[in-house]
Amino acid sequence: MFIQTIITGLSIGSVYALMAVGYSLVFSVLNFSNFAHGAIITLGAYIAWAVMVHYLQVPFFPALLLSMGGAGILAFLNERIAYSTLRRRRAPSLYLMISAMGVAISLQNLLYATIGAKLYALPPVFAMDVVHIGDLTISKMDIFAFVFSALTIAVLHLILIRTKVGVAIRAAAHDMEMVSVLGVNLDVLVGVLFFLAGSLGGMAGVFMGVKYMVYPSMGWITNKAYIGAVIGGLGSLPGAIVGGLLLGLLEALVSVSSLGGTSLSTYRDVFSFGILVILLIFKPTGFFGRHVEDKL
Amino acid sequence: MLLSVEGLNVFYGEAIHALRDVSFSVEEGEIVSIIGANGAGKSTLMWTLVGLLKPKSGRILMREKPVRPIPHLSVAAGISLVPERRRLFPHLTVRENLLLGAYLRKDRKGVEEDAERVYQLFPILKERLSQYAGTLSGGQQQMLAIGRALMSRPKVLLLDEPSLGLAPVLVDQVFRAIQDIAASGTTILLVEQNALEALQIAHRAYVLEVGRIVLEGKGKELLNNPIVRAAYLGVAQHTEILLERTNHGESATFEDSPPTTATTAPDSKMFIME
Repeated sequence: MFIQTIITGLSIGSVYALMAVGYSLVFSVLNFSNFAHGAIITLGAYIAWAVMVHYLQVPFFPALLLSMGGAGILAFLNERIAYSTLRRRRAPSLYLMISAMGVAISLQNLLYATIGAKLYALPPVFAMDVVHIGDLTISKMDIFAFVFSALTIAVLHLILIRTKVGVAIRAAAHDMEMVSVLGVNLDVLVGVLFFLAGSLGGMAGVFMGVKYMVYPSMGWITNKAYIGAVIGGLGSLPGAIVGGLLLGLLEALVSVSSLGGTSLSTYRDVFSFGILVILLIFKPTGFFGRHVEDKL
Repeated sequence: MLLSVEGLNVFYGEAIHALRDVSFSVEEGEIVSIIGANGAGKSTLMWTLVGLLKPKSGRILMREKPVRPIPHLSVAAGISLVPERRRLFPHLTVRENLLLGAYLRKDRKGVEEDAERVYQLFPILKERLSQYAGTLSGGQQQMLAIGRALMSRPKVLLLDEPSLGLAPVLVDQVFRAIQDIAASGTTILLVEQNALEALQIAHRAYVLEVGRIVLEGKGKELLNNPIVRAAYLGVAQHTEILLERTNHGESATFEDSPPTTATTAPDSKMFIME
């Protein structure tokens, strides 16, 4: 039972990590919390629903790729329309964050107004399949989400370490102006950054959609991924991974725990948001925060 | 003419007129120095030349072609900056810092050749390639900043206060390197508070005062110019010592005291402090 809880926790934690990395990537370079990321993740899930269920019957893997690409492009457009002018004027990051909140709320309401508040299910890819290992019964989707999230983050890491644009992104996390003086077109760089964050979000959105449902306010769950990013230290890639996994694990453990005969599962969100408040009091920079270690 | 600047006016906001009708030129193969006090507009000029600041009026031309004030276009036009305080990426390795300097280049072989050239110029960098730039000493960091700027294979290399914060021995080393770079065919535009070193290696030089170019001439000429000597080479210091001695009742001669303009020259004290 305990090991099974750990596996569930790691699985949901890895999806949190996938989303948290998107928050951290953007924060590391542009220094603001991009709260529109949740809306992009939701739209990623809706893309999967549209191509797998509503309009076409595209199989899971191509649909996953379409969601990633689509969410990446949407994130790119989000930056171009809502943030780029503020960024070029060097507006304080608070303004960018407020703009992001505006984007998040209007996109969510756009979904309510057009597609409606109905909950849609994605085809139960793997969801019903289970693997038995000894006494353990593990959902294939859990394994799949964990493995794919881990692989995707590993690929992102390689991009940041090995490619020219990746090194430039890491450099921009320290000094964006200097990066431009070396010949890097910042519009392109930030575009790549948002595409990467968005496509990771698209993948997370699909996993969430399969595990839960697709509905306009599902982006709210991404707030927890944001908490994960803060726990790990906003702007740090390892921090986002550790924070996301940790939050997933703790949530899974709280859900199965009980106190004096009462199950704590209803306290799950009290717990995860409470952790955020307490952590910010004692360690506001998170585990891998920028004041402790270099960003990304 | 490799680089010409015509009637540059730069403002911070509405009120602060940082550069006033600044015009000058740099010929192919030259070392040109611009000296000036703190706040004279030297760094403003450098940032404008690389497109980080947009001039209100005036033009920047490379080989008679106007350069639009956008950083990556300036680099593409052959202008490369070693900024004040170096601005390296401390959490990136020495090699990553160097390669970022070659960001716009597609010729891998040429980039490797230029990296070798940088290692020849600063052998210590080759030993430190996989080390984080933040772990280098101040002098090594300045070398890396110069190397990084050279990696774009610039036509003109701009250096903003390369001697800042360096021990005298290292200052000499950096200025020798600048001369080596010039000798290998890269044109140099140098702004410095360290007027003595800057004028000694310069073919030509300009004096920038409160956003305006007030003097120009050959480097050696300016070294002997009384106003420059008083305001930027610390000759006034001599006067002050003499004055102080007089105050203590010692006899003093004023034979070699500079002309009266010297004592009123702006910021002369600033330089004495340096």
